[in-house]
Amino acid sequence: MRTRNIRAAALLAVGALALAACTSAASEGEDAGSGSGDTAPPAEQVTITWWDNQQTDSGLSEYQQIAVDRFMAENPDVVVEVETIPYPEYQQRLQLAVQGGNSPTVATVDQIWTAGLAARGNIISLDEYVAASGSVKRDNFFAGAWDSAVVDGQAFGVPFNVDVWQFTFYNEDLLLAADVDPQSLTTWDGLEAAGAALTGDGQFGIGLFGHLGEDTVVVMDSFIFSNEGEVLDSAGKCALNQPASVEALEYLAGLQQYAPAGVLNNSSGEMRELFLNGSLATEFWPALEQPTLQDSDINWGFVAGTAPAGKTPVGTYGGWNLSMFTDATDAERDAAWRFIEFITSPEVNGDVVDLLPANIEAAKAFVEANREGPEVILEHLNNAKPRPLSENYLELSTIQNEMFQSILNGTDAQSAADTACVAIDGL
Amino acid sequence: MRSLAQSNRRRRLSPFGSSRNRAARAGLLFLAPAVLGVAALVFWPLVQAVWQSMHKTPSGFSSASEFVGFANYIDIVSGNSFFFLIVNSFAWTLFVVVGQNVMGFLFALAFNARWQLSGILRAIIILPWVLPGVVAAVLWRFMYDPQLGLISSVLERLFGPELGRSQFLADTNTALAAVIVAAIWKGFPFAFLIYLAGLQNVDRSQVEAATMDGARFPRIVLSVIIPSMRPVIALTLLLTAIFTFNYFDMIWVMTKGGPLNSTHIFPTFIFQTGFGQFNFEMAAAYGVLAFALLLILLVPYLRHSLKSERDED
Amino acid sequence: MNQRASIQNRVFQVLITATVAMPLVWMLGVALKPSSEPFSSPAQLWPNSITFDNFLSSWRPEFQTYFLNSLIVSFATVTISVLLGLLGAYGLLRSPRKIRWLVYPALLMGQMVPAASIIIPIFAMVRNLGLIDTHLALILAYIALTLPLSTVMNYAFMRSIPKDVIEAATVDGASTFRIFFQIVLPLSVPAVVATGVWLTVVVWQEFLFALAMTTSQSMRTLPVGLNDFIGQYGIRYGELMATSIVMSVPVVILFLFLQRYFVQGLLSGATKG
Repeated sequence: MRTRNIRAAALLAVGALALAACTSAASEGEDAGSGSGDTAPPAEQVTITWWDNQQTDSGLSEYQQIAVDRFMAENPDVVVEVETIPYPEYQQRLQLAVQGGNSPTVATVDQIWTAGLAARGNIISLDEYVAASGSVKRDNFFAGAWDSAVVDGQAFGVPFNVDVWQFTFYNEDLLLAADVDPQSLTTWDGLEAAGAALTGDGQFGIGLFGHLGEDTVVVMDSFIFSNEGEVLDSAGKCALNQPASVEALEYLAGLQQYAPAGVLNNSSGEMRELFLNGSLATEFWPALEQPTLQDSDINWGFVAGTAPAGKTPVGTYGGWNLSMFTDATDAERDAAWRFIEFITSPEVNGDVVDLLPANIEAAKAFVEANREGPEVILEHLNNAKPRPLSENYLELSTIQNEMFQSILNGTDAQSAADTACVAIDGL
Repeated sequence: MRSLAQSNRRRRLSPFGSSRNRAARAGLLFLAPAVLGVAALVFWPLVQAVWQSMHKTPSGFSSASEFVGFANYIDIVSGNSFFFLIVNSFAWTLFVVVGQNVMGFLFALAFNARWQLSGILRAIIILPWVLPGVVAAVLWRFMYDPQLGLISSVLERLFGPELGRSQFLADTNTALAAVIVAAIWKGFPFAFLIYLAGLQNVDRSQVEAATMDGARFPRIVLSVIIPSMRPVIALTLLLTAIFTFNYFDMIWVMTKGGPLNSTHIFPTFIFQTGFGQFNFEMAAAYGVLAFALLLILLVPYLRHSLKSERDED
Repeated sequence: MNQRASIQNRVFQVLITATVAMPLVWMLGVALKPSSEPFSSPAQLWPNSITFDNFLSSWRPEFQTYFLNSLIVSFATVTISVLLGLLGAYGLLRSPRKIRWLVYPALLMGQMVPAASIIIPIFAMVRNLGLIDTHLALILAYIALTLPLSTVMNYAFMRSIPKDVIEAATVDGASTFRIFFQIVLPLSVPAVVATGVWLTVVVWQEFLFALAMTTSQSMRTLPVGLNDFIGQYGIRYGELMATSIVMSVPVVILFLFLQRYFVQGLLSGATKG
């Protein structure tokens, strides 16, 4: 009686394994045929794989597939397989692919990963392709975005989309009630005064945050840049302990009292939630935030960053570039290059991105059509600086982030910066 | 003095001798899949990781790495991260394991008695464990938020706004404790289930005998129930220790190891070094060290519990 | 050990369950909150208005794919792993001590390696076998991961079986296999069920291997699929929570059905004397 049950269970298990094997075989067959369908493919058809970030948290993006379909219609000899990868696992999947020998032909790569991938020989230099290309030229893209993919004088990526950290979005009603002039937010003194006027009674004036994340670093950088300071000087040495940078850091530390509690674990995401429920008067976000605010009930406005009186606010570039990986045939690379030219062209770039197009012409059209205050956005974009173009940027960023946390935690800014610079110069 | 029955039994043990060999061989056969699986999927990659940890990728545009022997290990041990990693990992593992097991055991005792709603209640209790790790971590991170979280709002209603705005995850003194609490909530149902099942095998006659001798409930637990569940308790402690030491999701999502490294344990640091900073050789070295540490801590415990089984035999 | 619960016991059970369930109530509230309603500060346990939109949108085509993948992989893994583990545990029980002393720690040592350290060699290995993006790879990997645990867990329960029972049967002349099927197996039912539920939960939530073994979206399992809701700077809480709840339902239902085996006691009279 029991033996019968055992035999039944064993049969069940074997059946399960067989089912799994059959299903996976079937789905593999499906995947292989998905691109070309039932018609016989034209001779010399090339298949390339494109990995893209699921671009924003505002919705699962269908933009990639639309772009791909258009391209394949115009280029029947190329099949493009798209994989949309959510941000939290993107870096991991790229590394697995690169280390395990399964890399895509072309992928969007965060600006800050480009140098590291290039230095390890995972992506190829695109100089030859750029030289031969009619449409992909440095002048057609935002300078800072283009430069973010240049390693040792060679271009390793073509900018795909960009954004600037940060714009200061404000709650019109709260500012009105506290008699704060929105334009005052663009100066250091003004922002500080606004913070004081707007904080109290469960309400917070300034959305400063300091968790371990790149958003903390780009906001910090923009304040440093706006004070004409730098992270790395032109010789590549750490400049965080220079007077201009230290001033900016001290200023930020001073804003902490107007920020929501828990700064060391808060991210831009939490700031957004507080802004949306009306308890935070200003938040630091890139232009990408606009659709979310447009959908909400808040009366909002924005200014382009903050700088000391007399200086121009300078933002930090963020965004993604298209890079090609080492493991590919020449035919695949040529096809991938044509795809890159296609989706970075002025006509297409604006349709396929959720951030701002990196192609200048496309960007202008995009912000006119989809964003409020387009001139403000474009000006901030043109003034922006990229983060340091170091192949050790990811380690640098962690050190800088920890330095910021320790300053917010009470350490004197100069000494924290000195310690950080020792570590950074030692990389 | 031997009775007839006893000498008969001894004679009958000889034919049993050969069937014991057959049992042993069958036993080895049954064990083979498990051993092979672990060898292929864990030990072989571990060997590769050790190999990788003895290399460094120099700058320049190639992916070739060069052999540097133990240089990475020397860097680690002489650096300043190694110490806090050990302290954090140890504290994390200890408190989570104790918390999960004590809570699980007490809950099992409480739920040993049945009524109509026991089933539903038990199903609710295992929910924390069934939730995907990332979701539980996101949930608790949100709950700890000083402005938006449930914990702050409850504390505020109970103790006033001062205490209510406590920043558990943002304060280096409390962050690790906060994450530990979340991890205990997440994992205790595992211990609960094991102990509940284990309680079913406790000999009821012994419990009744002890009750009749006048022993009260805590005494019964200590002198009858726990001793008879020893193998299960020992194993559960060991397993929860192993899982907790390498448990990544909770801390990574809640604090990413911060603030200021106060919650970094080996798995999070390895992930940050490897996938975050692309430095896989160094990450491999940390991984090997973490494994060695765990081995040193737990194998003596394992051997000891095996030995006490041998004594029982 | 199955008494009927006293009144105090019942109240106590309800109280401690309620405490544990508080975060879950909050989670449900988040899942039911419409996205147009912002999170309030200080927080409220329950949203102002309720919508089922998040639950409806969680049942989208991608989710159905992930669900099917998880189902296939979990079912195959758990059935095979539990069975082999039971046999392996029995083998461990009847093995000579020296073997036990070697194999038992070896099985557990496998669990001690941090996953992030071995994920890349495993990925390379799977790729070289051409098994990336197949259910088979994931099933085999999960069996390898869970088999030691299944073996060890069943072994611990088997050790709780009083020795007299086995010895009595041995003396009566029973063969190893008969002892297994007629004595050890029935007494191991709580262990088998506990192990089965445990492995199901482990495999159902497992993330790292599922990530490493798959590249295409059509092969992702549920835990990997949850990342769809986590963006670079923001999280879509409502949908994340709703999907997690839907995802957890099958396991809870499984548990509800199998619960009685946990509280099934020893057959009375088996160990008298």
